[in-house]
Amino acid sequence: MAPRGFRFFPTAGERPFGHISSMKAGPPHSGEPLGAAEAASASVSPAEAAGEAACPHCGTAVEGTTNAFCCAGCEMADAIIRGAGLERYYADREQPAPRPEPLAGGWNAVPLEVDPNTGQCVMRFSIDGLRCASCVWVTENVLGRTIGVSDAIVSYATGRATLRFDPGKVTLGELAGRIAALGYQPRLLGEESAPDCDLLLRLGVASFAAMNVMMMSGALYLGWFGGMEARFVSLFQWVSLVLATPVALWSAAPFFVGAWTGLRERVLHMDVPIAIAVTVLYAHGLVGTFGGFDTYLDSLTMLVALLLAGRMLESRGRRRASEAAVTLAASVPMTARRVTDGASIETVASSDLQPGDEVAVGAGEELPSDGVVASGNGSLRVALLTGESEPIQAAPGDRVWAGTVLVDGSLVISVTAAAEDTVISRMADDLRAAADQGVAPSSTDRIAPWFTGITLAVAVATFVGWWMAAGVGTAMSTMIAVLVVACPCALALSRPLAATAGLGAAARRGLLMRSADALLALAAVDTVVLDKTGTVTAGALDVVSASDADLRVAAGLERFSRHPVALAVVREAVSRGIPLPEATDVRETPGVGMSGMVDGVSWMLRSGGAGLVVLEGADGHRGIIRLGDRLRVDSRAAVARLRSLDLSVSMLTGDHLEAARRVADASGVAPADVEAGVPADEKPACIRAMQAAGSVVLFAGDGLNDGPALAIADVGVAMGTGAASSVLAADGVLAVGSVGPLAVGVAAARACRRAVRGNQVRSIIYNVMAVSLAAAGFVNPLVAAVLMPLSSAMVVWGASRVERQVSAWEGAS
Amino acid sequence: MNSIGFLLPIAIGVAAVFLGFFLWAAKSGQFDDLDDPPERMLKDD
Repeated sequence: MAPRGFRFFPTAGERPFGHISSMKAGPPHSGEPLGAAEAASASVSPAEAAGEAACPHCGTAVEGTTNAFCCAGCEMADAIIRGAGLERYYADREQPAPRPEPLAGGWNAVPLEVDPNTGQCVMRFSIDGLRCASCVWVTENVLGRTIGVSDAIVSYATGRATLRFDPGKVTLGELAGRIAALGYQPRLLGEESAPDCDLLLRLGVASFAAMNVMMMSGALYLGWFGGMEARFVSLFQWVSLVLATPVALWSAAPFFVGAWTGLRERVLHMDVPIAIAVTVLYAHGLVGTFGGFDTYLDSLTMLVALLLAGRMLESRGRRRASEAAVTLAASVPMTARRVTDGASIETVASSDLQPGDEVAVGAGEELPSDGVVASGNGSLRVALLTGESEPIQAAPGDRVWAGTVLVDGSLVISVTAAAEDTVISRMADDLRAAADQGVAPSSTDRIAPWFTGITLAVAVATFVGWWMAAGVGTAMSTMIAVLVVACPCALALSRPLAATAGLGAAARRGLLMRSADALLALAAVDTVVLDKTGTVTAGALDVVSASDADLRVAAGLERFSRHPVALAVVREAVSRGIPLPEATDVRETPGVGMSGMVDGVSWMLRSGGAGLVVLEGADGHRGIIRLGDRLRVDSRAAVARLRSLDLSVSMLTGDHLEAARRVADASGVAPADVEAGVPADEKPACIRAMQAAGSVVLFAGDGLNDGPALAIADVGVAMGTGAASSVLAADGVLAVGSVGPLAVGVAAARACRRAVRGNQVRSIIYNVMAVSLAAAGFVNPLVAAVLMPLSSAMVVWGASRVERQVSAWEGAS
Repeated sequence: MNSIGFLLPIAIGVAAVFLGFFLWAAKSGQFDDLDDPPERMLKDD
């Protein structure tokens, strides 16, 4: 108890009474129930005299003498944990659990691959919010003890769950629902690790062969100096050939496939010189072994192993993009309730819906198709499309979209587009296409045709020269030496290595760039344009001002409500450390407000116009809670750091000038750099104008309407919490809810660009020197065996400095 | 030097056995998640 109690004090001290705390909501207290003495000495609440207790699940302070749950969600989570016999979780955990949030739906629409023999299927998804080993333990065991689940593994390091379950006994939706009920957020993944495994096998074989061939070659090279019997030379050569054969024919296959694909499309990319070198080396080895002269098989195997290692690093970085596509596709429910003849209701597959059909949607359900509201009322959560957290009202005649969630009310929708024609499936298709296309020509690929051309020309010239001077035999072996040392091993490795280092350095700090090209484009940026709502500001409804007493009463009334205003009020109360009071006789009147009794007084909470909530007590007390959009915690620091990189920072918003100025002042953007009142469809034009003036623009934004601007900017970075469409159009995603990582991302990009350029220069210098030596006839298999790994080591050294440079920059700023 | 005749097959044979183990391990997914097992070890369960 002592250490937990100890931790309680500094935490409480950081959030003194009345302190306007950050958006980062979270229980300020430790999860342990507090003794009365501790509670009194902490004195963070206006009601500590009443005796303070904490919600046993999430640790939110509540008033009362017993540990009452703060909300129905926590009570449910506790029931699940105790029902599974996992009470130990509460004693073991280091941090209280997050407050449960409703699960975004669509899980039952995920296609499952059922093994026909066992009737089971395996599903991998990620879980957000795992804070400690005990969280992993409890989710793993809750899932594992669910009927129908035969195997559940939750990984702490990667935040991923792997489930083996019988879909006949339990649905994926139920399993996801149980995780969400515990307070963790399950999220679908799109990626599978199959291609990686293939490369790993090829790399394994190549490395095995490289080591053993090197052993043979070592003996052969020593034999040059000490003399060796011909039969042993021949034995070693034959063994080398046998070992090198699977490497040349199987391990190196990806390079041949790549070269062939490129040639068919009339592009000479990096795989072409590699494929030529492998072919020449292997053919020479074959002839040499039969003919009894020296071979380069050691260089061949080493080369293939190194290049495969580079390729594997590259493929690791390329996985993320398809994740969002699956999430999107999964948000449309599989079935719909079709209304026929205006009366009877039948359940049909969503994909069978036709335009003109009418479907019924109840509260809490996702819409199965795009359409127009025919009858009914309700509020829709459209966050998936627009990133807007506040539900919008839908009334007859309004357009609605598949995948959005009906929060309350009920609707009958006249279908306008179903299945693949819905806005959301088209977005998912675009995203998949973007993920597949992936491989854009890089600067290395632009060098490659020149490189190949020059190498081939030099090889031919060498052959002709030596043929005239010394005959066909010498000419042949010198030409082969040229082709061998010219293999662009270091050049081909220079970009993947540096890019992996750069992408990793940026990702560890919260900025996920989609590709190496996107990262390198980021290095060239000189102007940063920030969207206001949702980017510089949090974009979510938040309490801007309210007195603690009003907030306490309001939070008590709204404790169990799921309305966005209620969530904002309770979140603020929790972050100020105000224990949630007990409210009785609570009544919610949709569209009007809440009423109930707190402290024996009857209260009424109602809307007071835009951004205002009015609290009225029967005793005549009248309080006002102001709601609004608040600046993200570290926006100011982020702007300052971007400036320190010599970037000009400006803000673009559709909001009116006064509001924009206020945010600009608070975040440190110069008033002259604020473009206010720009409608969404003019944002791209605004960015074009900057580009026309010679700027290379980085645009950071969220929301559906930011998509075009993100696409037009030289680099578009979306907020990970924003609309799926913006994430789709962007070159990068901020994984944390802040623009903080942008600056360090630019620093990482610049370090990466330096490393790539340095590596390219070094490897080209190496190649020029090595080719000259070879053309002059100074290269034999031993020299090649020393030179080639040396050039690759040089490139690895260049890439390894990226992380160090980024850390140094961070330390300096 | 004649010992090479049987030492070489043994050496390569042993290496091949390890390669076999590696391929089996890679195929059975043991390299899919390299971060978690060290954490898992610390959980007594």
